[in-house]
Amino acid sequence: MNTGKNFGIPREISKSFSFIRMLVVYLVICGAGVCALLASFDILIRKNNKKLTNDICSLVTEKMNNSIRRMTGSAENMAALLSAQDHYDLGELYEILSRDSVASEYVSIGFVDENDHIYASETELKEFEKWGLLDTAGQADPVSISAPYRSGKTGQTVFTMFVDYVYGGGKKGYLFLTYPLKEIQNMAYTESLTVDTEIWLMEADSDNIIQCAGPNKYSMGIWDNALVTFRKPIGSRYQKEYAAWKDKMNAGVKSAGITYRIGDETYTQVYSKIDFMYGWYVVVRIPGSSLSSAIQQFRISVLVFLGILLIATLIMFIVSHKRQIREKKVLENLSIQDPLTQALNRRAFDFTADQYLGYLGKTLKNEASLLFLDVDYFKQVNDRFGHEAGDRILREFSAALREIFGQEGYISRYGGDEFVVLVRNGDRDTISGQLELLRKKAAEIKPCDDPEAYRDFVLTFSCGGAVFPTDAQDLKSLEAGADSALYLVKENGRDGFGWYEKGK
Amino acid sequence: MKRITAVLVSMILALAGCSGSGREEQGASPAPAFEALNETVDGRPDLYLIVKNLDSSYWKVMIDGARDGGAAFDCNVYCSGTYVETDWEEQRRLLDEAVAAGADAVLLAPDDSVMLSEKIEEVYGKGVPVVLLDTMANTDSYDVCYMTDNLMAGQQAAEEMISQLRKSGVSDSDAIQIGLQLGAAASQTISERLAGFFKYWSKNAPQSWKIIPDIKCNDGYLDKAVECAEEFLEYPDLRGVFGTNNSSTRGFARVVREHARKDIVVVGFDYSEDIAALINDGGYAASTILQRQYYMSYTGVETARKLIDGESVPAKFVDMGVVVVNEETINQAEVQEVLSYSGADGL
Repeated sequence: MNTGKNFGIPREISKSFSFIRMLVVYLVICGAGVCALLASFDILIRKNNKKLTNDICSLVTEKMNNSIRRMTGSAENMAALLSAQDHYDLGELYEILSRDSVASEYVSIGFVDENDHIYASETELKEFEKWGLLDTAGQADPVSISAPYRSGKTGQTVFTMFVDYVYGGGKKGYLFLTYPLKEIQNMAYTESLTVDTEIWLMEADSDNIIQCAGPNKYSMGIWDNALVTFRKPIGSRYQKEYAAWKDKMNAGVKSAGITYRIGDETYTQVYSKIDFMYGWYVVVRIPGSSLSSAIQQFRISVLVFLGILLIATLIMFIVSHKRQIREKKVLENLSIQDPLTQALNRRAFDFTADQYLGYLGKTLKNEASLLFLDVDYFKQVNDRFGHEAGDRILREFSAALREIFGQEGYISRYGGDEFVVLVRNGDRDTISGQLELLRKKAAEIKPCDDPEAYRDFVLTFSCGGAVFPTDAQDLKSLEAGADSALYLVKENGRDGFGWYEKGK
Repeated sequence: MKRITAVLVSMILALAGCSGSGREEQGASPAPAFEALNETVDGRPDLYLIVKNLDSSYWKVMIDGARDGGAAFDCNVYCSGTYVETDWEEQRRLLDEAVAAGADAVLLAPDDSVMLSEKIEEVYGKGVPVVLLDTMANTDSYDVCYMTDNLMAGQQAAEEMISQLRKSGVSDSDAIQIGLQLGAAASQTISERLAGFFKYWSKNAPQSWKIIPDIKCNDGYLDKAVECAEEFLEYPDLRGVFGTNNSSTRGFARVVREHARKDIVVVGFDYSEDIAALINDGGYAASTILQRQYYMSYTGVETARKLIDGESVPAKFVDMGVVVVNEETINQAEVQEVLSYSGADGL
């Protein structure tokens, strides 16, 4: 059956487009909502990361400084104890301490007297000269710590701590203690952040850095330079911020932080001055992702939840829409179709035909024909074969009409045995040919399945037609024209076809 | 008997080709079987030397030192090594091979300070003395390491740069720039040389002499080193360049000579035709720093012999020092001796 698409069926009959539009609007609103949610999440994560990483970096630097203070405090106590004992023979004291088990806690222990004579092993003496350790001793007030260097004795990277010391009745010297750098690395170790936190000692003047903690435990104690490790990878975008951060360090500002990106990762990096290790700073760097993993998980959960909600809503929408379409179709069918023949009822036909002819009238491009058809002697069929046979005749005749005109017209049962067809064609010859075909098909329609019963039965019909706009320019006039043509056919004995002619 | 076992084990393991997929991807050739460096004598200790690159002249000098050390200290010395200096997996196999062959001591120049640490600990744990050469490992489980203190060598390079600049007529008030180039950004040796350079420079160079912050890296390739050097020439105040390794130094030397930039001081590491050409020219200010790899292995064999004999060593880390080669020092006896051991006397 024709859906009416080609005939510009009024929107009242088809509303599916409005559903799609509504769906698009809904999806756009949902999309905008999700984007806004993600953006607010990202802002929240960034703010959270910046604050937390700053706090953690500051805490780690403070922890290291406290630990170094404890070491220096312990060295100061030892120096104070030895000062109180007021030794006169530093050589003898050195021998005792070198042999003493206390010495084994350090890589080495020794003294520098007021004349810069060093009480140390041969290897250590070479290191004093090689690394200028006497200069570091001179900085002790009351403590100074050397830059890290590789110990000949152990092969490890070490640093030496000098403490003011009084001996021989008021002479000023220095006690020195050499520790493995691992001591500082152990201080830097923070279990919960081991994987992500990187810690270096950095010398402001040279930009040299030495790693104390990081993802790769074997990289600890390895020298590098900040220009290569920090400045080069961060690219041109953050060079200005990095330079400002470094300027603060050069100016002796106690602590400062910077946030920058390398690739997709955001890092927060904080330095803090190390007490007694003059010109040296502890630098802590944490990637933002290490802290935002929990909130990222939550973000993903929310996104999944929203996704499921959206899909569920869409399914509900579509199911509801389909159900609505089905119900509407049933209602439409009930209101526009003749239940027996499935043809349009008169009301629906008049409405649709009127709309179509109106559309045709505006375009003035095509013609249309209106046909009135009557099943001949239908009452006799009912009387002879019964109402069921009559219904069968009407159903099959309607089906034959659909088969022949269904693709290009509207078919309606006007009442009883009357049918009307609006054909999108004004060519009388073509329609006459189609009616001839219909006549053959009608002849094949039988009222029942018993050949004996219908042996002499042949179904015929009468038809009158009028052409739009030649014969009439509106539906009523067209119907009247076709009706009068039908009347003439009937007058002439039925089983025939005729076109409306003015004046007849 | 041990010698036969060593050769057999070497052959079996070499034929088995038990190498990892990583090194296969690098296209590295498998290490050859251990080969005796000198005449083997039954009853003498068997030392196994494993070097980083059998094709390199630097490592050939180290092998010469071990050969001479073996003769001097009455040891059989067997040698093998890798052909790519990152092929630590093959060195790990060689360590197993040496232990299986009954090594009395192992002399190793580790291809990777980190990845080989566990295997070194294992060998040391079996009571086999371990002497490290040229490169430190990230473990305490070794007896002694003979190498260059690269932090100190870097400082010497900076000292030489400042000295050469002053000799070239650059005054403390001149605003000049210095360009630095690395062979590999992740190399501990190169990083320490760089740190040493900065350490000395920051304390001793005049304020107006600046290091260009864009430190370039050539990844060990000479072509790239030349490109990097060309880029540095675009700096108008460039008066000095420092190459932290052989490829960087060659790149700088080649470009400075090609452009006849006699106003640029070149300081680098290792001896090559390129840097030798500048030093010998007389018109250029150029210096290079040479390591004493011959003495590393020679002394390493001596110490290994002492360890086998039950003696202890006073230090675990011994800086073998470096010599600075420039126009003035090149004829000094010490420099000539190191140059002759470096195979550079023919350059």
